[in-house]
Amino acid sequence: MRLTTLLTLIVLLLVITVSCSKDPQQAAHKELTLAAISGVEGDALKAAALDYERQTGVHIEITQFPYANLFEKELIDLNARTGAYDLIMMDDPWFPTFATKQFLTELTPLLQKRGQNGPDTDFVDTSIALCRHPYQTGSLYALPYVGNSQLFFYRKDLFEKHSLKPPTTWDDVLTAAKTIQEKETGSGMYGYVMRAAQGNAAVADFMPIFWAFGGEMFDASGKPTVNTPEGIAALEFMVQMGKYTPPGYASFNADEVGAHLLQGTAAMSINWPAWISKFEDPSKSKVIGKVEFTTLPSGRKPGQAEIGNWLIAIPRTARNTEAAMDFLVWATTAEQMKRSALGGNPPTRKSLFRDPELVAKFHAYPAQLRSLETSRPRPRTPQWNEIENAFGIFLSKANSGALSPAEAMNQANAEIEKIVQRGR
Amino acid sequence: MSRALKYLILLLSLVAALAPVYWMFTISLKSEVDHFAVPPPWFYFTPTLEHYYDAFVTRSFAQYLITSAMVAVISTICALVLGTLAAYALARFRLPYDLDRKLSLWILSTRMFPAIVTALPLFLMMRDLRLLDTKASLIIVYTAFNLPFVVWMMRGFFDEVPRDLEEAALVDGDSRLGALVRVVLPLVAPGLAATAVFCLIVSWNEFLFALVLTQTDASMTLPVWIAGRVTQYEIKWGVMSAAGAVAIVPILVFAMAMQKYLVRGLSLGAVKG
Amino acid sequence: MPKLRRLSNAAVKRHLLPYVLIAPAVAVLLALSIYPLIYSSTVSLQVNDAWSPGNFTRLLSDNFFLTAMAHTFVFAVAALTCEFLLGLGLALLLNSHIRGRGFFRATLLVPMMLPPVVAAIVWRLLLNPNFGAINGTLKQIGVNTESLTWTASPVLAMLSVIAVDVWQWTPFVFLVLLAGLQAIPQEPYEAALIDGSTRWQTFRHVTLPLLKPAILIVLLLRTMDLLRVFDQIFILTEGGPGFATETISLYIYRTAFRFFDFGYAAAMSFVLLALTNVISVVYIRLLRNESRA
Repeated sequence: MRLTTLLTLIVLLLVITVSCSKDPQQAAHKELTLAAISGVEGDALKAAALDYERQTGVHIEITQFPYANLFEKELIDLNARTGAYDLIMMDDPWFPTFATKQFLTELTPLLQKRGQNGPDTDFVDTSIALCRHPYQTGSLYALPYVGNSQLFFYRKDLFEKHSLKPPTTWDDVLTAAKTIQEKETGSGMYGYVMRAAQGNAAVADFMPIFWAFGGEMFDASGKPTVNTPEGIAALEFMVQMGKYTPPGYASFNADEVGAHLLQGTAAMSINWPAWISKFEDPSKSKVIGKVEFTTLPSGRKPGQAEIGNWLIAIPRTARNTEAAMDFLVWATTAEQMKRSALGGNPPTRKSLFRDPELVAKFHAYPAQLRSLETSRPRPRTPQWNEIENAFGIFLSKANSGALSPAEAMNQANAEIEKIVQRGR
Repeated sequence: MSRALKYLILLLSLVAALAPVYWMFTISLKSEVDHFAVPPPWFYFTPTLEHYYDAFVTRSFAQYLITSAMVAVISTICALVLGTLAAYALARFRLPYDLDRKLSLWILSTRMFPAIVTALPLFLMMRDLRLLDTKASLIIVYTAFNLPFVVWMMRGFFDEVPRDLEEAALVDGDSRLGALVRVVLPLVAPGLAATAVFCLIVSWNEFLFALVLTQTDASMTLPVWIAGRVTQYEIKWGVMSAAGAVAIVPILVFAMAMQKYLVRGLSLGAVKG
Repeated sequence: MPKLRRLSNAAVKRHLLPYVLIAPAVAVLLALSIYPLIYSSTVSLQVNDAWSPGNFTRLLSDNFFLTAMAHTFVFAVAALTCEFLLGLGLALLLNSHIRGRGFFRATLLVPMMLPPVVAAIVWRLLLNPNFGAINGTLKQIGVNTESLTWTASPVLAMLSVIAVDVWQWTPFVFLVLLAGLQAIPQEPYEAALIDGSTRWQTFRHVTLPLLKPAILIVLLLRTMDLLRVFDQIFILTEGGPGFATETISLYIYRTAFRFFDFGYAAAMSFVLLALTNVISVVYIRLLRNESRA
């Protein structure tokens, strides 16, 4: 073999490699690219995109990433200004990060071009407040697509069997959990099920207890205050509920909680409405017709659910802002959102929560609307990811028995303080 | 050690090695309600193909399979060609200033930097080269990722081939490269095969770079797609297992075909010191 | 004249040949490692876009970093020890004349071929404390599994992630060691037999020394991979419960991508890189002494 042959070979390899790079012709065909979450919310948007293409001829490429990675993907892409995405789907606690970094397009001028002064008043107030930066009062940078907020799930049949009244306070919950677990002993039934895996999971299941006990993450000056007596009492209560929760809950995520509910081995839980339609599906559920839903229990303060909406925004670097806005407006109309709702995604429009067809299918809708309208967001700080991570680690540690509740809260407070300091 | 005890240990190891893989296959064939059944149905359950249908028909799984195959095969070939040439030179020529040894060490050390930290700069680099979201970017990265391993393995193999053989070919009028291709390569073929198997496994299974460098379905590989089945509310165990079951087949077939060379190949070179 | 020129041309060509052969590989590696290295060094020395050693001083007071580092070492040492002992045992077993050798050899390699992402997912399902097949089967044979919560208890979670790594990578160790054993010639064994050595003596004085290069290589490769383990733990426990299985790679990943503090992530990586380098140099030294001896 000669040197020339060798060089030819290497050039050939290069050619093959480069031929695998993007075909510019093909790139011109797809008109919009959307980063979405994998799962029901992204699936609904995918179905809508197909309809949209049929109606308008605009092709929308939807790429789905898992929850654990979507935020990272969007953050690197927006930060590096690659312009890869015309639309991004995001969980509402990410919004302050993106908005503070000025990654998003302001939507009001685009709405005005389309003859609207602002977002439709049919959107639930707590949902639209999430789309503004600063919270509730600022400019509009996103529209709400999926109207999740936590609900309290309980087994109607077991509550009737043991003559318990539907839980309205956390004390009720504790009593009911104790009663059910004692009386159902031997059947593998647990009184309660929660998730305390570090990160999002533990924090989401803790916040409603924390708030009901009178805890606050920050004081008026922005200093963390999780280790107040109220906060410590709330964590002590959570650990106490752990006695009535299946073993190993310190590593549970939504998946394990759902599995326990569907298999009929737990009597109560805080969860997201996405599960509701599964309870009535015989291929997945052993508890058909047995699960009831209500708003979050109260403590010293009225019960408040944590809101967890999925928003859609247009990055500043989007290649095709106008077409993206057209699709965004179309996808969030009542008509389109109803189709997504039929697929199991809670809407963000009041009219849909009262839509007879939907209410007939999802009997939890009245409770959901009440929960959503009184819900509370996670603190609106661009550092929420880091704070939630640290907070979640200590909540999970307390629940796995590695730390006492008071120690966990003190250490959490110190770590959160460090994070806040760094952000200043 | 008695024969019976030997077999007992081997059988236990076999069960330990295969049971999780077997369990994955059964999950891929079970309906969702059986995934969490207690006691676990190891053998008796009603099989269903719904998850395979979901993967291939509803979610065009074949597309990711093809992307993965292209990326894995091309990057393995690139790494083998470039790596073998470099390894041959490093094994056969003494360069001035001890350069050959220093280069070998440097090449190996490029593998030590944590992949996580190279991921972001590589992302920026690929952006500037306009290669983001292409198979080419993954091919280039995997080639570089596998190169140190190839160079290192092949150098060991070349060291074992007596120089006389090539010198005879050189005297016969062959060029250096001619001698390499006609005389030396056939001798180290088992080693090359073994190296190829490892490269292929690595590129086929790699997750982190694939995740970071992928923006749309255009360059999504199997591991990224599979990881995407962990949704916020539930893990799609069925589809995931079906995908995992399909993903392991090509590697398994290739590795089994090369099985005979794996041990013989490895024993030829690097491990002899 | 023309003849002379052709000759010198050939000489030049011969002289340049090694460089030409090495160049493409070095070019690819340079292109893909220099830029990341420069980039990471630059950002690691900046805090809020100003030059500062802050990222490196922060390391010392960061409990998360120190704990993650400790976890990484516990994980690496434990997994390496188990993988090595099991791999060596299996390799010795299969190096003897035993029926079905090829079959055992082939099937024992299967775990290595499963994508780590998939392996972690399968194990997550198996290890589920309440619905997993492991606890389910144990319950069936009468074991009380109440306290076997695997990935949910701090100690068991670490054991679980170690076990999964051992499950997946022992085959690799086994394969390399088996190849090493088969590369040992027969003569030293025959000599030992004549000397009347016991089995243990033969193993200690013949097999182990001759297997040393293979052992060092496999330990080097595994150590490098164990110190930067990511995929499996990320999917199996995400570092939990609490912080119990958070290794340095996970923490670096979170810092870089979730908190977008790339400078700090790079600073941590340099520490990890330095440690990996030190360990590798030790192995390579040992290896070189070995090949000289």
